[in-house]
Amino acid sequence: MKGFVLACLFASALSSASQSVLAASDDEKWQILQKAALAAHALSYQGIFVCQSGQQSKSVQIKHFFDGQNEFARNVLLDGSPREVLSQGGDLIIYNPKNEKIVIEKRRGQNMFPAVLPANLAAVKQSYTLRTGDIERVAGREAQVLFLEPKDDLRYSYRFWIDTEYGLILKSVMFNNRNEMMDSISFTQLNLVNSVDLDWFKPKIDSKKNYVMEDEAPAQADYNPSPHWMLKELPAGYRKVDQMLRMVHGKPLPITHVVFSDGLASVSLFIEPVTNGVKPRAGHSVVGNTSFYSSVAGYLQITVLGEVPEATVAAIANSVVFIK
Amino acid sequence: MTEQISALLDDEIALEDAEHLMANMQTHGHGGEVWSQYHLIGDVMRGANALSPNFKQDLMAKIDLEPTVLSPNAAWMNEPKAFNETNELNEARNKKKALDVKSKLPATNLPVVWSVAASFAAVMVVGWMVLQTQVGNQAAPAMVAQAAISQEVTTLPAASEQGVPAEYLMAHQASAPSASSYYIQSASYTE
Repeated sequence: MKGFVLACLFASALSSASQSVLAASDDEKWQILQKAALAAHALSYQGIFVCQSGQQSKSVQIKHFFDGQNEFARNVLLDGSPREVLSQGGDLIIYNPKNEKIVIEKRRGQNMFPAVLPANLAAVKQSYTLRTGDIERVAGREAQVLFLEPKDDLRYSYRFWIDTEYGLILKSVMFNNRNEMMDSISFTQLNLVNSVDLDWFKPKIDSKKNYVMEDEAPAQADYNPSPHWMLKELPAGYRKVDQMLRMVHGKPLPITHVVFSDGLASVSLFIEPVTNGVKPRAGHSVVGNTSFYSSVAGYLQITVLGEVPEATVAAIANSVVFIK
Repeated sequence: MTEQISALLDDEIALEDAEHLMANMQTHGHGGEVWSQYHLIGDVMRGANALSPNFKQDLMAKIDLEPTVLSPNAAWMNEPKAFNETNELNEARNKKKALDVKSKLPATNLPVVWSVAASFAAVMVVGWMVLQTQVGNQAAPAMVAQAAISQEVTTLPAASEQGVPAEYLMAHQASAPSASSYYIQSASYTE
């Protein structure tokens, strides 16, 4: 049913999105972005995209298939270790080569390129403005450039290249407040597919390697308000989207992990009791695209990090109030 | 060899033609390993709950700890013929099974797609729920897992000068991944 709704939405988005964007109204611009958010799920396509982050770049082969009901995707890393990410709907299985083993990890999927936009853009509209750029070529295809710019300095800006025919995001780049490129993902090759077989939907098995399940205790949803802390004003546009208890390597007890999002950017907050005899951490830094912030509230060690400006991780850390 | 094992798993080799494979797997440890690995991968893809990594060793250890009970088998006492009968029954059953495997016709493309899709989805969700409740209900396996980790993993470098351990970054990327973090490991994380 969800698939049917998706297909209908996509069809209506296709028909209503104006193709002449030169003098696009604000609504029309958001319509293009909305269409891109749906197209990533509702089309069947295959190709190769390149990820660049910091000093590293990796090519990934993608095959994505939507049968009107279910979504299947297989992403294979072509550079370095042959990691594979297989997804069905929101369930991911990652085959992650580590040393002499292949570790099988299960995750809840989100943000898998080119499906980087949320289906509901309301939150994004609150925090970002949208303007159109030129028509440019990406992966041999014609693309409309869209600039998604933050309304304040609590988030980075994005630039999307959107296929004028398919409506799919061909390229997505994140820039920091100094307009330096932080992260870029771009198709180098893309075509639609219309076969229905699923023979490809399995990992390539390396018979010389050992396959093991990830032996890390996964996180567990945490619905109980803590008696020891509460959140006061969060930075503008950020909402709590998830709270869990998670085992972290080297910690005897599970620690609280809260995730915030403004629709595009995500921030993690970790809360744990200060360990006796260990000097509490306090300070901030930026490593690559990630801002870190540590502070102490009462008996609690606060750690915040995310691909957001330093002001944002600081504001989230300061929103935690210790309750005696 | 591995291709043949894979084919056997996919029902592409009839059971009675696979005797040499079975024998081979029993005599050479490698074949047996491949066999169990392919099963693990298949289980994960189907969303079946995989057993813990050290299940076999743990089970064997537990069996070793069990007291040995020396008592005659009740079934044997009552029916001396039962053993032979069951043996014959089993043989007949095995023969029938082999026939079933052989008579399996390759299905057409579309129904296979649907069945794979449906089972993967349904079982995957169930697998997740089981996984979640397991963690919720028993701290013990989690602790065992932790113990296993601490033995295996060498200490990770800190992710920042302030000494934010890399574990936090990994936890962040597991629950709130950016699109490129699936493919590019952060600099602080050594593969």
